[in-house]
Amino acid sequence: MQQLTVFMDIESSRSYIDELYSSDSGKLVEALVTLKNSVIGSNRQKSSVIQQGVVPRLLQLMSDDTLDPNIRLEATITIGSLAKGTAENVTSLVEQGTATALVELLKTVPVDTKLAEAGLCALRSVFLHPPAPISALPADMRLLTRLTQIAREGSPNSRACVVRILSIWCGGAREQEALCAAGACAALAQALAPGPTRSDAPPPARALPALDLLAAMCFENANVSQVALNTRHGDKTIPELLTALVSRDKPLPVAMGAARCLTFIHRAGALPADDNRVVFGALPCLARLCTKEIPEDIRASAAETLAYLAEVDTSLQRLAAISNHLMSSLADIVNCPSAAAKQGAFKCFASLGANDEDIRKRIIETHGLMVHIVNGMNNPEPSVRLAAVRCLHSLSRSVQQLRTTFQDHAVWRPLMQLLSESPGTELLTVGSSTLCNLLLEFSPAKEPMLDQGAVEMLCNLTKRPEAALRLNGIWALMNMAFQAEQKVKQRILCCLGTEQMFRLLGDSDTRVIMKTLGLLRNLLSTRQHIDAIMSEYCSQVMQAVIVVLEGSYPAEVKEQALCILGNIGDGEKAKDLIMANEDVLRKLVDYLAHPESKLQEAALFVAGNLVWRGEAGAAARQARLAELGVLRALKLLRARQDAAHLHDKVKTALAQFNEFT
Amino acid sequence: MSLNNSAQNNANDVYDKEDRRISRTDMNMLIMNYLVTEGFKEAALKFQQEAGLQEPALCSSLDERIMIREAVQSGRIPEAIAMVNALHPELLDNDRYLYFHLQQLQLLELIRAGRAEEALAFASATLAEAGANDSNALTELERSLALLAFPDPHASPFADLLLPSHSQKIASELNAAILKMENQEYTNPKLCSLLRMILWSQSELDKHNIKYPKMTDLANATIEQPK
Repeated sequence: MQQLTVFMDIESSRSYIDELYSSDSGKLVEALVTLKNSVIGSNRQKSSVIQQGVVPRLLQLMSDDTLDPNIRLEATITIGSLAKGTAENVTSLVEQGTATALVELLKTVPVDTKLAEAGLCALRSVFLHPPAPISALPADMRLLTRLTQIAREGSPNSRACVVRILSIWCGGAREQEALCAAGACAALAQALAPGPTRSDAPPPARALPALDLLAAMCFENANVSQVALNTRHGDKTIPELLTALVSRDKPLPVAMGAARCLTFIHRAGALPADDNRVVFGALPCLARLCTKEIPEDIRASAAETLAYLAEVDTSLQRLAAISNHLMSSLADIVNCPSAAAKQGAFKCFASLGANDEDIRKRIIETHGLMVHIVNGMNNPEPSVRLAAVRCLHSLSRSVQQLRTTFQDHAVWRPLMQLLSESPGTELLTVGSSTLCNLLLEFSPAKEPMLDQGAVEMLCNLTKRPEAALRLNGIWALMNMAFQAEQKVKQRILCCLGTEQMFRLLGDSDTRVIMKTLGLLRNLLSTRQHIDAIMSEYCSQVMQAVIVVLEGSYPAEVKEQALCILGNIGDGEKAKDLIMANEDVLRKLVDYLAHPESKLQEAALFVAGNLVWRGEAGAAARQARLAELGVLRALKLLRARQDAAHLHDKVKTALAQFNEFT
Repeated sequence: MSLNNSAQNNANDVYDKEDRRISRTDMNMLIMNYLVTEGFKEAALKFQQEAGLQEPALCSSLDERIMIREAVQSGRIPEAIAMVNALHPELLDNDRYLYFHLQQLQLLELIRAGRAEEALAFASATLAEAGANDSNALTELERSLALLAFPDPHASPFADLLLPSHSQKIASELNAAILKMENQEYTNPKLCSLLRMILWSQSELDKHNIKYPKMTDLANATIEQPK
């Protein structure tokens, strides 16, 4: 046997590299063992061996089932060691077909052999380097059944490998369903169960990959979560096994993983928000893992997971807000250096403040948080910027904050800055939602934001292909136009353009149409503005209203259009525009008799504005309206029992017609 | 019994109460655990015979671990590494610091044998990689190479590296890593944990300025009365 040495540089390795091609199996094994011992522990040696082009030969030796099992084993172990090198090493291995060859090996080799274990170890090392070669492992039922069989019956090391590989592989609904069908839930229940003596917790090396796979399988998947809910090992279901793992005596990463699984199962709809395993299991565990004594990486994932747990349910938000000093723990996490920690804390604050004004107030009062949010929006890491904006968005639902803290910290400035730097769709969506809130009428931020070019930016948003962005754009414009000065309204109209407005009235999303009409309505308010705007845009506005009244829109959209008409009818000169349009007047008669009560009421509002006595030309208008049947329609409306709640208004309108009644 | 009372009593009175009697079986189990965990197989089997115990639960890798320990302590490092790689191929790739420690032993063997040039070549060819990636490793590498600067390394300030206790320490480190790889619950002997617990308890008591009979010498279990 060749003398063993760890001192093996590239030059001295020539001879045994040659021996790798020997037909003498004894020499071949010897060369493989020498090669293996030279690469284990040294990235330099791994790189040099890969550069020498040995990988294809190793893969060939590994895959040839006519060879001595020892040769195949040593070749596989060497491949496995190479896969523990640098990212470039792994990329090179994958390019040479290593992942596919390992999967092929696993399809044929008996599951309880050392060769299978070495193959799994190597594949795990390859998968641990992102991006994992997901496509090398097809969602083939026979293969997956085999792999889940190893996860149940293999050696401890093989089980851990297989579960880790699958946890990285499982990235979508297709993989989730396939694994579930292959019986992965039962294997996971077994991996999470205590040892034979009952008091033994599952060792972390077994539990951690299993928790990751379970989380990956249950994420946003109602079906798989339901299966997990009902899968048992012994007398315990998976949620019960998880509840045992969130307790204080378990290692922190295990408790973290178990709390994440419970969170995902809850959010997928399999466990209700008031279930004990959520309320007394996952939630307090996550709040505890956010506290100061815990290592930063765990705190970061705890905060992020808690954000997801409490994202929608108000009772969980209230409960979390009073748990274990969570607010001050989170404020402390914001100060941690890592992007993951900051991001987790901002997201968690955003979730906690989503619905409850009291919680928002407490968040704002958390020492120095606004400064951190503003800093977060300027963070070089995109994920931190996004999370900071999410937090700001949640807090911007508070009217009081809009008027005080937000103004003090001029939060609109970094926000506008972010939105004008061509951000990603997600940031743009959250950011423009925040902008909507900042632009509410009472928000003092409105003026400076206009100067920053907010109108132009929002008009551009209405042209985006994403419905959510069009909605936010037009919504924000609507808020901006509410009780605004005339120059602001002119600027909006001029910048948006009537063509774009018509396009938005034909939008596939009804909410966009509603907000577009809402914008028109806000633009056409107060008598002075109505006349000024109508003198310029008369025909387009009337056309827009007619389009909606004649089209097949839902009742609430038509109601908006009638309200616009009512606003126009309040203008001094603008009244004549309606009076001159016989089509519109006939529509008015129709809507006064419409079965839908809110449309009757809206039509009544229009009629009331037109017939108002004491304004110039009232008599002529009344005569014309009587002639077209408006008077008769009003009388009919008064007679209708189902319109009793409108009778006062109808009477007022009819009283204007004194010459005719 | 409160601490104040106990301080006035004789130490033997306090510790030899009926309810504190420790069974012989427990003692034997602790000793057996020490022998098995640390890989003293023959001693363990002898002890089993003499103490009349059940067959000790020797874990599967005990023979290998004994051979690996012997190889490390007698300076046959490449052989030890090859055995570790055969037993757990992923271990030294996962724990590069441990791998560095084994290579450092190899370097120290060359220095001990007075093969200075080979030592330098070996250090630059293999150990430099670990030194470049890990500042702890770099410091230790510098200490090891500093031995070369002395005509008699054994008389240098870094002579501790050449003592058998250093290679024993690395051998135990390696042994614990192997046990951990095999998912053994305790990678350290339970006796170690007990002694550590005594030290911890005493330091907690010291922190609170409490007077108590203190164990001042672990090896002889000497207990001193409070002054």
